[in-house]
Order: sequence, then C-alpha cells, then structure tokens
Amino acid sequence: MSAPEPTDGLGSWKQFLCRACGLIYDEGEGDPDGGLPPGTRFADIPDDWACPICGVTKADFEPYQRRTRVAAAPVAIAPQRRPGVVIVGAGLAGWSTAEAIRAEDATIPITLVTACDGDLYHKPELSIALGRGLSPADLRRETGVEAASRLGARLMSETFAIGLSPERHSLRTTRGTLPYTHLVLAHGARPALPACLDPSLCWRVNDLAAWSGLHAELAQKPRNVAIIGAGLVGCELAEDLARAGHTVTLIGAEARPLPELLPEQAARRLLAGLGGLGVSFLGGTLVNGLARRKEGDIALALADGTSLVAETVIAATGLATPSRLVRGAGIAFDKGIAVDPATLRTSAPDIFALGDCISIAGSPCRYIEPVARQAQVIARAILGWESPGYAHAAPVIRLKTRSAPIELHGVPVAGAPWHVTEESERRLAMEQRQGGEVVAWLAA
Amino acid sequence: MASAPALRLVEAPIGAASAVGPDWTDEAVLARTTAIAEGPLSTAATSIDHGDYPLDIMGQLGAAGALGVHLDRHGGRFGLSLAAMQAASRACGATGFLMWCHDVCGLYLEQSGNPALTGAVLDDHLTGRTFGGTALSNPMKAFAGIEPILLRARRVPGGYRVSGMLPWVSHIGPGQYCGAIAGVVGAGEAISHEIMFLLACDRAELRPCPQFSGMEGTSTWGLRLDEYFVGQDDLIADPARPFIGRIRAAFILLQCGMGLGVTEGSLDSMHAVEEPLGHVNQFLHDRPDAIAAELAELRARVIRLAETPFEGATDYLIDVLDARAQVAELALRASQSALLHQGARGYLMSAAPQRRIREAHFVAIVTPAIKHLRWEMARLSQDILPAATGGRA
Ligand SMILES: Cc1cc2nc3c(=O)[nH]c(=O)nc-3n(C[C@H](O)[C@H](O)[C@H](O)COP(=O)(O)OP(=O)(O)OC[C@H]3O[C@@H](n4cnc5c(N)ncnc54)[C@H](O)[C@@H]3O)c2cc1C
Repeated sequence: MSAPEPTDGLGSWKQFLCRACGLIYDEGEGDPDGGLPPGTRFADIPDDWACPICGVTKADFEPYQRRTRVAAAPVAIAPQRRPGVVIVGAGLAGWSTAEAIRAEDATIPITLVTACDGDLYHKPELSIALGRGLSPADLRRETGVEAASRLGARLMSETFAIGLSPERHSLRTTRGTLPYTHLVLAHGARPALPACLDPSLCWRVNDLAAWSGLHAELAQKPRNVAIIGAGLVGCELAEDLARAGHTVTLIGAEARPLPELLPEQAARRLLAGLGGLGVSFLGGTLVNGLARRKEGDIALALADGTSLVAETVIAATGLATPSRLVRGAGIAFDKGIAVDPATLRTSAPDIFALGDCISIAGSPCRYIEPVARQAQVIARAILGWESPGYAHAAPVIRLKTRSAPIELHGVPVAGAPWHVTEESERRLAMEQRQGGEVVAWLAA
Repeated sequence: MASAPALRLVEAPIGAASAVGPDWTDEAVLARTTAIAEGPLSTAATSIDHGDYPLDIMGQLGAAGALGVHLDRHGGRFGLSLAAMQAASRACGATGFLMWCHDVCGLYLEQSGNPALTGAVLDDHLTGRTFGGTALSNPMKAFAGIEPILLRARRVPGGYRVSGMLPWVSHIGPGQYCGAIAGVVGAGEAISHEIMFLLACDRAELRPCPQFSGMEGTSTWGLRLDEYFVGQDDLIADPARPFIGRIRAAFILLQCGMGLGVTEGSLDSMHAVEEPLGHVNQFLHDRPDAIAAELAELRARVIRLAETPFEGATDYLIDVLDARAQVAELALRASQSALLHQGARGYLMSAAPQRRIREAHFVAIVTPAIKHLRWEMARLSQDILPAATGGRA
C-alpha cells in the first residue's frame, strides 16, 4: 500500500504523531480515506485535513522519530541471572515502557505479563472502527509475539498477575512466580459495571478482544442497539454504530450527555450532531436491570417502571482500576494506584505504575497522551539515569464524534459556570474561569 | 519452636460444646495439639509415611479440640484450626492431611443444616470418636470444568440411587464415611443438578489403591458404589452447587495448614544442621532466613483470610487460591532446600527431609493442585462477556 521510496530528494518518508490520540501519520502510506495518496509529504497536507481518528488538524501533529533501535539481545533461553524488569500489562502503557527501556539498554531482561494476547492495537480506534468498516485484523498492528521478539523481551500472554510481595520482589501469576528487580504496573482499568447489569447480556468496549466479539455480533445485520452511559466512550460509540447502519438509543443518567465535562450549550450541539445521524438520546434515565426475552432480544428495565427492548446492549458506564493486587501488597491506592506525581513510583520500593491504572493526587487520567511521557520517566529511573521527572498536565480531550467534534482544554470544574466567548452556527467557544484564571475552555 | 499464632482469643463456648470439649480455649487447643505433635506424632511420622493409619492419634487430636474448633458451634475459629493443622503437619504431613479431610467433613455436616447430620453424628465426628473424610476431588474439578463428574444418581422413591467409581478417597475405611457428590441423571441421560450426601463406607466397596510414593498412612481407597441408596437423612445438600459455592473458599483455605506445617518442619531441619554445616550451607539458595520470612508473611495472610472464611466475593476467593498456591510453592522450595541443607543425612530413608519432599509434592498435587489453582484464578479473573460468536462464552 505504501509508496515506494521517495524520489523528491527530501529524504526518506517521515512520520508524524497526533498529540491528541497517538495516531502516527506515515508519509509513505498517506491517508487515502482522507484524500491523501501514499507519498503525501506532511508539508503538503492541506490545513483543513483532519486526523482520521480524532479529527484534530495537522497543527496538532509533531514529528515522530522512531528511535534508532538498539540491537536487542536474543531472548535468553537460560534462566536469567538478573531477574530484570517485569511489566504487568501489554496495552499501550506496558509496551511503551518496554520500548522506552529497550531504546536505551539492549540487555536488561524485560518480561511482560499480560492477561490478553499482547497484540498491539490503538485503543482509541475501537470507538470509530465500525463506522469505517474495519475488522479486528485491520486494528491489529503487530502481534505480541512479533513485538516481543523485536524488543528482545519475554511475553507471557494470557497470564494474570495475581499477587505481589514487595519485600521479596516477587510477583505471583497464573503461570508461576516471577522475581523482579523492578516492577511496572500497567494493567489498565476495567469496565465498572453496575451490579444490576448482567455482564453476560451487555458488551463493554475496553479492549480489542471484547470489541471483536461485539463486531462479530453486529456484523451479521443492522441491529437495534442500546448504549447505556453517555460519557466519552458512549457518545463516540453511539455515533460510530449509527454510521455503521445500526439503530442506536443512547441512554444517559443525566438530562444531557457528558454532564461533568460539557456545559449545556456544547452538549446541545453534540446531541444535534448525534441526532442528525439518527441516534436517539434518552436522558435522565437509569437502567435497573437486563433480561433476555424469549424472542432472543434483551429488555432493559428502566427506573421509571417502563422498559425498552434492544437486540444488542452496550454498557459504557465508566472504568475502575482493580485494587486487589496492590491492596493485597499494602500499596497505596486511591481510585487508582497512587503514584508520586514526579517519579511515578508507587508506595512500594522498585514498583512503578503508569497509564489507566494510576491516580495522581486521587485522580485517574485515562488518556493516551501522558503515557509516552510516563514511560520515559519510568525507563530512565529503572536504568538509573537522571530525568527531569514527569509533569502532569491535563491532556486535551477530543470527542471523536465527527458529527459534532468537541475539543476541551484544561480541567473543568463540574457545576461551575461557563461563559460563551464565541457563538455562531459553525462554532461555539466557551470558557470557565476561577479567580480570573481560565481553567478550562472548549470549542465545539 | 512453634511460632506464636496471631489469633483472636475466643472463650470456650458453653452449652452443647461444653458436653464435648470442656476446655477448648485457643491456648489449650494449641498447647495440647503441639504436645501431641512433638510427642507421639513425631515418633510415628516415619511409620505413618510407610502405611500406619494413625487413628489413635487422630482420636487424641479430636479430644484436644483440634478437629472441631473451626465449626460454628465452637466459635468458627478457622485461624486456630489452621494453626493446629500446621503444628501437626510440622511433625507429619500425612496427619495434617487427615486433619484437613476430617475438618472439611465436619464442615459439610454442620453446614448441611440436616438435623440427622448435625446432632450426635457431628459431635462424635468433631471430637474424633468417629472418622470420615471427603470425596470431593472429582466434583471440585468437575465444577471448575476440568473433568466430568464420576458418580451418577437417579431419583427413586424416598431418595436417590447412586452408582460409579471414585479412584482415591482418603481417611475412609470400614465403619467410616465421607462427603460425596453425584450428578443427578434425568431424562435423556443429561445431568440436571448434583446432590451431596454422607456416604457410609460399609455400604460401598473399598478397593485397594496402588502404592503411593509417600503418605501411605492416609487410608486411601478406591470407592465403588452400586445402586447405593441416599435417603433424606444422608443428604448434605440438594442441589449441591450453591452449597459448594458457599464453602469452597473455606475448604481450600483450610488446606493451607498442611503446607505451612511442612514448610515449618523443613525449617526445623535446616536449623538443626546450621551449626555444623552453616559454613558451607551459606552457599545455598532459599536459606532459612528467607524461608522463615516468607513463611511468616504468608502465614499472617492465611490467618487474616481465616477471619472471613465464608465471604462470597470473587476477590476473596482469588486471595484464598493465591495463598493456597503460594503455600504449595513454598513447601516445595522449603523441603527441597531442607534436603540440600542436610545433605546425605537428609537423604537417609529414615530422615525427615526426604519424607517432607514427598509430603510437599502431595500438597502441590492434591486437589486443588497448583495447576488447578492457576486455572481457576485465570478463569475468575476473566471478564464475562455476552456469548456472541467472537466473545468468550
Ligand atoms: C473506546 C475507547 C476510546 C478511547 N479513545 C481515546 C482517545 O481518543 N484519546 C485518548 O487519549 N484516549 C482514549 N481512550 C483511552 C486510552 O485508550 C487509554 O487511556 C489507554 O489505551 C490505556 O492504556 P493502558 O496500557 O494503560 O491500559 P490498557 O490498554 O487497558 O492495557 C492494560 C493491559 O493490562 C492487561 N491486564 C489487566 N489486568 C491484568 C492482570 N491482572 N495481569 C496481567 N495483565 C493484566 C490487559 O490485558 C492489557 O494488556 C479510549 C479508550 C476507549 C476504551
């Protein structure tokens, strides 16, 4: 698919990273769906081109340098003398850490322990892939086995981390106990499903395996789908499924979608966009239970006593970090694994954490952008190098609803007033101030 | 010497209990169990390994309270029960296993709520006047989806008729009994549900087992049932699955006492040669300090888990499975290390270290074996998804 080697005299094809969602634009491959043939130089991309995943423009891209690869040591067959680094989780956070360590040190043993198969994919694509007709195979960028051999790491896939003894530097897993010199927890968060929703009756989209199951169910024919939860993922999935030809009802607990993040005017634009695609929104509605009907579809019992029927139900009711592993080891936990904001160390010696599973000052931050910086800081600490440390900043949030894209900066204070700074049919801009300072602003 | 148990002290309950156990305070039970372990049990350990079934010692342990204190009627003191099993297993792993068999059988009887099983039958059992074990290895594996269930029951007027063969069941014999589970076969030979019942060995055929590599004194037999009648008075649970779900964590947790004791005994063997051999033993792995530290931490975790043996949360069950797996791994390492520490003297046929290696192997392979524990922890850790073509069923 990609263009042959360039002949324009500008050197080899270059790559650019979307700061918002982590997509990599490769000049050699272009973006044919977005009108950029293979071989389109970044400089030649028109200013109104949008990131195929999150919709930001080229101004939000930065040059991406694949680091010169350090020749990886062959995977050692003999038992390692040094236990080395053990990473729990092979999502973006786990692999980024392995890459960051290996880029600087070719020999330190790295083991990834992961519950999934370890295959690499770009999670934000899970909420835009159905509308683009993508299959699980299209989303998989590299198998875990390939990535492990590229990095000279050992991958223990379909293996759960179960217990942890910080004093003895040992991690218990479902395939045996591993010693470590440093441990990196990158096990992400799991869907927080209310107890009243039967997990065997509703899908949750937080990993490629679950999405693949949903994909298989939806691939058969257009279906009538209910999405419970109108947060970021619920809204994005609603749009994506509508684009894929399904009939979507989006159910929100509050009167409008994304109540903690968006002021009313912005939420209205979002609803108008979704409505234009045929999504119906049911606000102020709580689902109390699910039951399979004899017709084969699923009845959703609503709090007001009425009910709703859908062929497929998706719950997008938020995420929570599992705490059993770290609490059992006496590691501080506060809505996520509590880490030092500058070093990303947990409260236990030689144990770091990053990505979706952590919380900084009691707040989780579950986005792509911080992960690469976190991985760098941890890699340097493990290798014993100086590092400027991690500086947490709220990432820009972009709602990948192409029907009504919304971009949010800063940390909005729920309930505090927003002020319109610009309002036209095409664009809405608003900001939130606290003591004269702009704490958040958005453009819709 | 015996490590101080971290136990909640409970007064000996009055009433029914006082009839059978006059002085079952935590201290008294543990002191008497330790005395039995260090006295007659230590002496008998080798002969038990080779085939002597120590019912006399089991009777003494029962009288001391070591086989009854985990039951609700004696304060539900699982931590104490584990400490007693650890103290005995430190001297003899096979006897620790017999205690576990006996303890869980008592648990089935009490939890059955069946008046025919919770009266004199249970009192005789928990004081070690009668003896019985558990035939749940196969059904436990069957419930976890590892193998099919072996005993089959058919409904008949007034109860069930059960047939089938179980390969090896321990702590049974003429005049004894065990808890057992059978799948109830309905129309079309499909299993509709399972029943759990108290099986009297005298109405079944006991078949000798092949020789085992150790722990021969556990009175382990093959059991064959042919149209065995189960009446209302024999029923522990019908259906059995919810019952097993309720007691499963307690069942598994109790096993930890064996492995902790085997580990502690291995430590004893290491310490015994530290003075003469310490100068060379310092080059070994898994030195006594390291094993002792891990044992102390693990034991504290087990005792903490023993405070809520009937908790139903999945996270709790995983904690129990994790502790049980670690106990097995630690016993393997400790016993291996003890033999290396003792060298040739530990390799003598009469030496404790080589016996303990075989006991530790048993801890690691008895249901749930390390591999079953891992399988189950992986299963419990997985997200449940709708059963569409691509998802996990
Ligand atoms: C639908 C969707 C759309 C999104 N869109 C965006 C977006 O547009 N922009 C953005 O910035 N962010 C977005 N996010 C969030 C972003 O994808 C996540 O923040 C990021 O992928 C988290 O990576 P992670 O590696 O920390 O966690 P995960 O990707 O969840 O990885 C966790 C890993 O740990 C493993 N694991 C879990 N438990 C265990 C265990 N006990 N033992 C061993 N292994 C274990 C898992 O198998 C997995 O490999 C989106 C998320 C979703 C679900």
